[in-house]
Formats: sequence, structure tokens, C-alpha cells
Amino acid sequence: MNSTHILSAFDRDLEAVQALVMRMGGLVETALLEAAEALDARDEEMASRVRAGDKAIDALEDQINIECARLIALRAPAAGDLRTVLTVMKIAAALERAGDYAKNLAKRTAVLSQMPQVMGASGSIRRLAKAVVQMLNDALDAYIRRDVKLAEDVRQRDRDIDQMYNSIFREFLTHMMEDPRNIGPCMHLHFIAKNIERVGDHATSVAEQVIYLVTGSLPGEERPKFDTTSARG
Amino acid sequence: MDDMRIVERTVNTKASKISAKGVQVHYGATHALKDVDVEILENTVTAFIGPSGCGKSTFLRCLNRMNDTIPSCRVDGSITLDGENIYDPRVDPVRLRARVGMVFQKPNPFPKSIYDNVAYGPKIHGLARTKAELDEIVETSLRKAALWNEAKDRLASPGTGLSGGQQQRLCIARAIATSPEVLLMDEPCSALDPIATAQVEELIDELRASFSVVIVTHSMQQAARVSQKTAFFHLGNLVEYGETGQVFTTPQDPRTEAYITGRIG
Ligand SMILES: Nc1ncnc2c1ncn2[C@@H]1O[C@H](COP(=O)(O)OP(=O)(O)OP(=O)(O)O)[C@@H](O)[C@H]1O
Ligand SMILES: [Mg+2]
Repeated sequence: MNSTHILSAFDRDLEAVQALVMRMGGLVETALLEAAEALDARDEEMASRVRAGDKAIDALEDQINIECARLIALRAPAAGDLRTVLTVMKIAAALERAGDYAKNLAKRTAVLSQMPQVMGASGSIRRLAKAVVQMLNDALDAYIRRDVKLAEDVRQRDRDIDQMYNSIFREFLTHMMEDPRNIGPCMHLHFIAKNIERVGDHATSVAEQVIYLVTGSLPGEERPKFDTTSARG
Repeated sequence: MDDMRIVERTVNTKASKISAKGVQVHYGATHALKDVDVEILENTVTAFIGPSGCGKSTFLRCLNRMNDTIPSCRVDGSITLDGENIYDPRVDPVRLRARVGMVFQKPNPFPKSIYDNVAYGPKIHGLARTKAELDEIVETSLRKAALWNEAKDRLASPGTGLSGGQQQRLCIARAIATSPEVLLMDEPCSALDPIATAQVEELIDELRASFSVVIVTHSMQQAARVSQKTAFFHLGNLVEYGETGQVFTTPQDPRTEAYITGRIG
């Protein structure tokens, strides 16, 4: 809905709360990229900055929830406005989770820097992180532009993330079998990869919120899952 | 009907009470309603919403032939009540209006006592055999309309001496005293304070167990709170008619969306 409200304060409120989400998204993207970089460069200082930064992300989510509650109470939003408020809250929750994963990644960096390096591992993790951050970035772009096509594209890209994660998993398995001294660091690296893959799921749910916001219903068709690491019956 | 509310009274029907097809209304040269089709369901509250002048009151008045009293007004199309054409020349409009009662936008009590305002309808339609029965109808009607406490000690004083909001509740009591099958309410709460409004809304919800209620309201929140079906009128057209929860979350027509979100200038 592009046209403006008769009561312009209503527009200002809706824009303000969406701006908060975009700010939160920016912080989460930076946190993820910096966490991956800190891991690659074994930069403990950068890692601890990422950890400290999570407080700001959490605080933004709280602020968004408070603003949304006020909007619902004071403006009684309906139709597209109501969906805007509902999706803002869901997206903020997804971003908060993604921020937690960045923080967890940074925590493991400190542990990993005390361990022997695993050849090529942090490079593949960085590529995975980059791809996921791009997904998140596009999902938030799709939100601001109300772009269902882009959101649909993000949703489909989640399978690439799953595949990247699967191949990283196999890579680590090989390292661990080759040399038991790799087991410790590879376990940490695996958790890191798994957490980044989960950020991809949150980016996907942001994209799904875009589809709900624009069309009024969540995408029905199940996303194909390509996680071949879990046992199948 | 597919009411999306989580907590629901045990009323659920798809049976049609009033069926309007191809209704056109002209006031002289003014084309006030254009080809309106609506099914008013039994045991259902239907809200009519839309900008001022879009034809809500006009359509409401079609449903009990109140437009007959306006000389310039011409109604075409078909409207049936329980399958019976209400515009059939054999239908007595006075009897029809006892079955399809109405509460108007502006309170219009008779220049009589509070008691007589409520007792009038039941008396002329022979609904009470004794004074005690009549007293009881008056009391329950006033209670349902949330006026009993304020009126019980002054039943003999004139209805016109009440405040605006009290007069409106008196008119509601008068309308329900004859136990109509359909109650038409044209902005019944516009002169009421929030407590009386809530009481009237509760009454509307109770009435739904036995009647159909059609309410015209300019409050989107009121429409959302009390109705199961919502019809949106715009420039004499019925633009959208659907389940209230659906209309307020995912309206199908951009004009409906613009109106309920406050975007029509
Ligand atoms: N008695 C009448 N004589 C001539 N024109 C009329 C009469 N009553 C209504 N109209 C016209 O018919 C159209 C619909 O009026 P109506 O009263 O049904 O609107 P409404 O939706 O109830 O508006 P509101 O929300 O302001 O009550 C308007 O253009 C109005 O001017
Ligand atoms: Mg009117």
C-alpha cells in the first residue's frame, strides 16, 4: 500500500517502526560478517566487539516490540497496516535470533584461536556466512520494496545454503578422520557452520513475512529440504 | 458462516434471512444504489460500512420499506424476507416493520412517557395480555438496552426529557420490545458514551442468538467487534462483502483496504 494515511502521524509511526527493523537488520548483517572475518583472521578483539554488540540488537528488538504494542493500542491498524505491524514483530524476532548466532560464532572464535588451524575451513565458513548475509540483505530489501519476487528468490536460495552446509560437513568429517587432533576444532567449526545455516532459515522466514505482508497469506508450498546429514528412515 | 473468532457463541448458520438482488435506488435523478446483491444471514450481525453518502442508510431503509415514505425515492430489484417478496403489494408495510425493526441514526422517541415509548409496539401488536406482562416486556427491553437503572424511577416522565444517549437507548428498547426477526440499526451508538456503547454491543451479540442484526457504523472498530459479516459500500456500489475477520485483515478490493485503513480523502 503506497498511498498515505489521512492521519499522517499514523504513517510516521509505521515508518519509524520499520526503520528500526532496518537498523536492526544492518547491525545483524555487520555482526555476522565481522564474526566470520574475526574467525578467519583469528582476531579476538573483533570477536569480542561482535559479542558486545549483541546487546544493541536485543535492545532494538525490545524497542520494536514496545512500539508495535503502542501502535496496536493507539492506532488499531487493519488490513495491510495490521500485516505491517505483525511482520515487523516477526522479522525483529528472526533478526534477534540471527544476532544470537553471530554472538555464538564470535564466542567460539576465542576458543578456536587456542587450537590448531584446520586447512581451508575458515575460508568455506566465510563463504557460507557471506551467502547467508546476502540472503538476509535481500530479504530485508524485499521487505522495504514489498518485492514478492525477490522474497521468493531468497526462499529458494535457502537450498543452496543447505547444500553448502552439507559439503562443509563432509569436509570436516574428512579432516577429523584424517587426523584426530582436528576433532576439537572441527567440532567447533561444525557448530559454527550449523549456526550460520540456521541464520539462513531466519532469512527465509523474513522472506516469508514479505510474502505474507504483500499477499495476505504465507507461502503454502513446502520448501524442499536438502539436509543430507541427518539420518533418514 | 466462517467466523474466524476464537471465542464464539454457539450460533453458526448459513441460512439466508433477507436476500437482496439487483437493488437499485433513485432519489429523483440521484442514483443512490447501483445493483446491490446481498444475503443477510440468520443469527448473524452484518455491518455496513463506507464513506458518508455511499448509500448505507438508503439500503438499510430498503430492507423494511422505510423508503416508501420518501416520495422521490424509487426502489428496483428484489428483496425477500424468508423467501417472500417484501415489495409485494399484498405485504402490509406496518406488519413488515414489526418483523424488521429499526433504530435510527438520530434518536426519535415518541412525545410520550418512557414506559409508553416501549409499551406502544407490544400493545398495538397484541404481544401482552395483561398489564403485568406488559410491565415485564418494558422492564426486560429497558434492561437489555442498558437503560433500566437510569429509567426505572422515572418511567412516567417523557422520553424526550432524557439525554441524547439515553434517548437512543430508549429507541433501542422500543425496537426490541416487539421481538423483531431482523433489527436494523443505523449508527446506534454515535451518541453513546463508551460504557453504553459496550452495553449496546453486548446486546447486539445477544440478539444474534434469536435475530439477524444489520448495523451501519462509522467506527471500524465497532464493525470489527460486533459483526460476523461486513459489507463495504462506496459511491452506491457494494464493493466487498465477506467474513468480518477476513475483510479487516485481507480485504480483496483496494477501495476497501484504503477505507478501513483510513486512506480515502
Ligand atoms: N431523502 C433523500 N432525498 C434525496 N436524496 C437522498 C435522500 N436520502 C439520501 N439521499 C442521497 O442518497 C445518497 C446516499 O445517502 P445515504 O443517506 O444512504 O448515505 P449513507 O451512506 O447513509 O451516509 P451517512 O454515512 O452520511 O449516513 C446520497 O447521495 C444522498 O444525498
Ligand atoms: Mg446514513
